[in-house]
Amino acid sequence: MAFKKKLDLKNLDIKKAAKDFWYGKPHGERRLGDLYEDKTGLYKHREWRGVKDTMYYFYNVWLYNYVHMVIDVQKFGGVVNFAKGVWRYRWVGQTYLPVLHWFDRGMEGLRGEALRASPWHYRGMVCETIRQFQRMFAADTKLHGGKKNDLWYHTMAHNETVWGGIFYPWSDQFDNVSMEMIPYFVTCHVNSHTVHNYIDAVQSIGLPGDPCPMCQAESGLFVLDDMPDYAPFTITSNEACDASVATSILQDWFLDKPLFAMPQPMQFDDPLVLKHCAREIEECWRFIEEQTGVPFNWDQLVKKLEQQNELQKFEWEKWDVAAKTSYYPINGVAQALYRIYYSQDGDRKIWHDCDKKVRKIMEKCVRKKINSFPNTRHRVIAWSCAPLYYSHWCTWAYNCWGLNVVINMDSLMFDMTIRTDTYENCLEDMARYHMWAPMRRMAVGGMHHIFELWENMEKFNCDMVAMYDQLQCKGMQGVHGLFEDEFRARNIHAFWMPHALPDSRTVSRMEIRRIINDYMTTVMHEEPLDPSLLDFDDSMGW
Amino acid sequence: MKDLKHLIYFEDLLQEANNALVQQAKAEGKYAIGYTCYFMPEVLLDLPGCFSVRLRAPRCTSPDIATYYMSARVCHYGRSLFERALEGGFNFLDAQMATETCTVTCRFQEHLQRMDIIKNDNFFCEFIDVPFKRTENNYEHYREQLRYHVLGKLNEKFGIDVSDKALMQAIEQHNEVCRLINEIGDYRKLDNPTITGYEFQVIQLATLVCPKYLILDKLRETAEEMKTREPDPKPNYRCKVVLAGSENDDPDFTKLIESCGALVVCDRHCYGAVESRQPIVVKEGQEPLDAIARHYLDTSNCPRFMPQDEMRERKRRLAELVKEYKADGLIIASNKFCEYWSYERVIDTVVMKRDFGIPVCSIEKEYINSASGQLRTRFQAFVESVEIKKIQEGK
Repeated sequence: MAFKKKLDLKNLDIKKAAKDFWYGKPHGERRLGDLYEDKTGLYKHREWRGVKDTMYYFYNVWLYNYVHMVIDVQKFGGVVNFAKGVWRYRWVGQTYLPVLHWFDRGMEGLRGEALRASPWHYRGMVCETIRQFQRMFAADTKLHGGKKNDLWYHTMAHNETVWGGIFYPWSDQFDNVSMEMIPYFVTCHVNSHTVHNYIDAVQSIGLPGDPCPMCQAESGLFVLDDMPDYAPFTITSNEACDASVATSILQDWFLDKPLFAMPQPMQFDDPLVLKHCAREIEECWRFIEEQTGVPFNWDQLVKKLEQQNELQKFEWEKWDVAAKTSYYPINGVAQALYRIYYSQDGDRKIWHDCDKKVRKIMEKCVRKKINSFPNTRHRVIAWSCAPLYYSHWCTWAYNCWGLNVVINMDSLMFDMTIRTDTYENCLEDMARYHMWAPMRRMAVGGMHHIFELWENMEKFNCDMVAMYDQLQCKGMQGVHGLFEDEFRARNIHAFWMPHALPDSRTVSRMEIRRIINDYMTTVMHEEPLDPSLLDFDDSMGW
Repeated sequence: MKDLKHLIYFEDLLQEANNALVQQAKAEGKYAIGYTCYFMPEVLLDLPGCFSVRLRAPRCTSPDIATYYMSARVCHYGRSLFERALEGGFNFLDAQMATETCTVTCRFQEHLQRMDIIKNDNFFCEFIDVPFKRTENNYEHYREQLRYHVLGKLNEKFGIDVSDKALMQAIEQHNEVCRLINEIGDYRKLDNPTITGYEFQVIQLATLVCPKYLILDKLRETAEEMKTREPDPKPNYRCKVVLAGSENDDPDFTKLIESCGALVVCDRHCYGAVESRQPIVVKEGQEPLDAIARHYLDTSNCPRFMPQDEMRERKRRLAELVKEYKADGLIIASNKFCEYWSYERVIDTVVMKRDFGIPVCSIEKEYINSASGQLRTRFQAFVESVEIKKIQEGK
């Protein structure tokens, strides 16, 4: 039908067609859903965003990133290590090529400055991801005939919620790479099918299906021996939930290496706990000194922390623009993923490079009062932990319903800079930062933290809540009813988004969309901006 | 075997949290302090003037309102406790001393803090932070948590004497309970034990949920009675097992195992006696609170402990228990939705058999076991497999 319509030259409005060609169709006429192949969600053809934006996206985003993915591979460890890694580890083999499709999903429908600012966030994440897995491969004994090379001796492995800042004192001589960040966390976003294999693996040895699927996937990597051996010792944490403690223990059986457990305390408001946590960090540093034979370097720590503080200061500027104006040029998924990635990963040059580019764009938006999301009907705050296989749901929600996800819970976790004036102040702040680990600052430490939602809702001027409902997170399931009570008592529009973190089989993307559609039609009585996006099947899509 | 004289009395005490002895102690002006986890040292809650009650929710099969608040996807134990609280079953409590040692019981206790559930104007709920390791930093941290959040609050709110002298008095009472329970429990180590796992669990549970000073006389009488108790001439069990795992305050579960032919000779689970009934030793010159803090961290075999050596030590300890109690196998049971024990059970199932040659029966169960038919089949099959192993080994 659509094809026939295009050929209907009789009724063709040439002026309008020319305008659409040059500027792209206006939001209500785009019919983005018609671009998808059924089931796979692959595009029949690229989205036409008008001449300028299409060219920008193709050359400055698509091509630029493809070229840099090759350059980064060469820069961070070479093509040979990369090829060996792709051959050996399925999590990289299955996710490297779909990366640009991941860009497409996140950037769909974007125009103008949003199309310039958001991809820089993705670029930062891709670069840092390549750096990390290339370091793993370059140091990996499994890829080098069991030999421990110099890089192996100069790499520190750690759990993904051990903040990279812990390793700053040695960062001039050593590198640190999280065990799960790339093999598990990043891969789920790029290819939603990759982690299924790991979840199934750990269940095959008897684990029931109900523990957190994130932990299951992280365990499965070890069950299937799909984790590079790239470091002589490991620092683990509890990731602040029961299943993560247990996962660390299971992983330890497989690793069988010197290990320092540095759990985040559970009751972090207590000054006594802060003192205890600071001492734990010092014990961890002593462990690293013993393992590496290299002393703690205070100057290096200060240097890196001050650089990291610059990242945080810019984040505050971003929040300020997002909260107080309509000129914030970053979409929900770019905001969420970039923020959680760099704040956990720690200071790296690429974050500063990207922030510099984004600052320019954002300042331009504010100066010229450019609204990058003009069809916003509701300013949404997303709360709790997001579905990793559908982190780009907010792109869909804006295109389909005008739901603009302004901020999310994970972005707000590390709301602090680190003092570097004295050792004591520095350590105290580092302890606080460590305790506010991802998924946890609001989720544990006392139930009242999870209700920081209300003040953030007000701060960011939001009128709706997207409440993530991670079905296997015991902590969040345990407060379900209280949220229901509060939403009713405060008369807040909120929709629940059930999901199983990385496992797209439990609640599909299509099911998530159906739930939001139902809420928007039956509760909000609204019409979609783009009806072609209401119902489509992308169950086989990356 | 001849019935134990006080068994029905002990069983009656387990029917309700607010049992006859709790009511008696309350009438005597004592403060009732609830708790859910081993990491909240009961000895501190048994200081003169107050008494500890480890919370249970017997016969709670349908926690409907708790399920609204906590969803159906969290452990039944936590939801059952919450339901019982909502029903008014814990209104006798004067305080809840809470730990964030597992997510769901933490959430239950946070609901007690946030919602006006316990109908007692003076009620309060206080949390402590419990470490995941046994290092000097962690001993000290735990001790200071106990000092500030437990002793400090008991003294501040109820005027409880928390001096070293009072602590020593509480330790003495605790050790007396331990001595009696261990004396009774040691009969399970005999070649032909003179006490069943069910009987022992009922007695052990009673000590956890009743004011200690009111139950000591019955424990003494039972210990005396055990000295002359004769075993059945022909054992009515087919094998002996150690029961390990997560929260288990349901003696009917033990009864179910024993009805399938496996005598439960040792209980290494959250409500068992292996950990909780070890006497506290205060060294000369040592502060009693320091001894208590070290005791509870050192004796726990909880899967919360993360360091490598502690994790491996747990397995060795379990294997030693099998040997010490002359058991033929191990039943590892975890409550559904218990994340710690889901993983620990998987590791135990592999490691205990592979590294220690111990037959393992791995069970996932509900807090209240209505699906007894399925469990019965599992236990019967396990007993048969142990018997076959014995035959093959020529025993």
